Amino acid sequence: MPKFLCVQRSLPASDERSAPSPSEMQAMYAKFNAWREEFSDQLVDLGGKLGDGRLVTEEPVTDGPFVEIKELVGGYMIVEAADLDGAIEVARGCPGLVSARSGVEVIEIQTPGG
Amino acid sequence: MEAAYFRHASGELVSTLCRRFGLQHLEAVEDAVQAALLAAVETWPRQGEPDDQMAWLYRVSHRALLDELRTGHRRRRILSEQWPESVPDTLDPRLAGELRDDLLRMLFVCCDPELPVASQLAIALKTLCGFGVREIALRLFVAETAVYKRLSRARTQLRARASKGFDAIADLDARRPQVLRVIHQLFTEGHLSLRAPALRRDLCDEAIRLAHLLADHPAGAHPDTFALLALMHLHSARLDARMSASGELLLLEEQDRRRWDASQMQIGLAFLARSAEGDSFSRYHAEAGIAAEHGLAPSFEETRWDRIIACYDQLERVAPSPLHRLHRAVAVAAVEGPEAGLAALEGDVPPTWLEGSYLWAAVLADLHRRCGHPRRARERHEAALRLAPSPAVRDLLARRFERADPDEDEALVR
Repeated sequence: MPKFLCVQRSLPASDERSAPSPSEMQAMYAKFNAWREEFSDQLVDLGGKLGDGRLVTEEPVTDGPFVEIKELVGGYMIVEAADLDGAIEVARGCPGLVSARSGVEVIEIQTPGG
Repeated sequence: MEAAYFRHASGELVSTLCRRFGLQHLEAVEDAVQAALLAAVETWPRQGEPDDQMAWLYRVSHRALLDELRTGHRRRRILSEQWPESVPDTLDPRLAGELRDDLLRMLFVCCDPELPVASQLAIALKTLCGFGVREIALRLFVAETAVYKRLSRARTQLRARASKGFDAIADLDARRPQVLRVIHQLFTEGHLSLRAPALRRDLCDEAIRLAHLLADHPAGAHPDTFALLALMHLHSARLDARMSASGELLLLEEQDRRRWDASQMQIGLAFLARSAEGDSFSRYHAEAGIAAEHGLAPSFEETRWDRIIACYDQLERVAPSPLHRLHRAVAVAAVEGPEAGLAALEGDVPPTWLEGSYLWAAVLADLHRRCGHPRRARERHEAALRLAPSPAVRDLLARRFERADPDEDEALVR
């Protein structure tokens, strides 16, 4: 079954005082666990958050045009699905992943002969 | 996981970190705890829940707080010369020797008599109960901006306290009545609020939780604390029965007494017995006495109104209020008839807040009707409907006046 890399991309967090309350966080936690349970067969690697990074090329290293990359890429995970649509369904179901300020890029991981 | 686990963990973490680092860092502490909870949401589903969740949360919030205090731009000025480790515990309000429990200690800190009660409530709901600003606003029926204002006032005052230091040993006994008052107010907000039934239970449960915390500690185990617990458990027993299946408010005599929670009632009565040990008699004793009479009455008709009147008399002595006299008049009318009820209120000039409330108008409408004063009854009736704070109350009043059945007046105000 093909695997897909899901990369979260979000707009820089706004500075409004919109931090979730403990109850809201607990609700998020419960939703996330429910989602994980529902798709447990397809979640190959729940991945994690991505931090600072730098693009390394032949050119001298600068923050260059990619300076904003650390603000835009939030996290990644790997899912298994029959096709792209199936992978999108899993990603879409993940709480908080797809919202007004955040979206997810779903990319097939090609394996030779796979 | 318990439904309020994150909220309660937040309260305990904030209290503990405030003791260790000092109240002047309350906001940084709240941010650090928030960060730790968020980290839990992100990490636990991937790695599994840790065996000791509190220890995990404590470690992460502690680290976040250290990072914030060392590098935080906002607080760099304050801390430029001292690392948090070197902040001595004595900078904190020194309740530690008396109150080992950090949460309880924080409760005493929040109930600062120099703050308006509204601010004490807001800061207690935020720091001890872990409610967010929006959640507090929803439960207290005020705007979010008002909650921010109350919280900011409370934080300023607590910071000032922290820098002055305050003597726990001397202040403890003096502050207990204030702590009880805030818990009572918290419960009343939940219990009497007729507007959002789903949310009230939260406030009642939190008030009971905090009062138990107090009662379980030598510093708070006082007859007044037990009386307050009795009162809250007794009311709590009837809370769900006040609402019909379709969400309508029910009059006392309409309530199905079988839906009253017998175990809550028993706990309440046990605390009432404990509250009688000792020579203290507070308003909570009187109010618990009234609640117990209602709870023990096998039916509305068999309520021992004479005992309820006696409790109101006691209540009037320890906490005089025209609102209590209004309730008392209803009980008097139940025993001696509507004329006696009206007579009990004669010469009592209600303050504006009470005269402008539906309660005053509704009781007078009823008494006048039963005395055969239809014109005055109608005036008051219309006023009551106009002043009703919510559609649910308006429905209840309309139903009440339609039924126009005498001897049921106490039902209106319970």
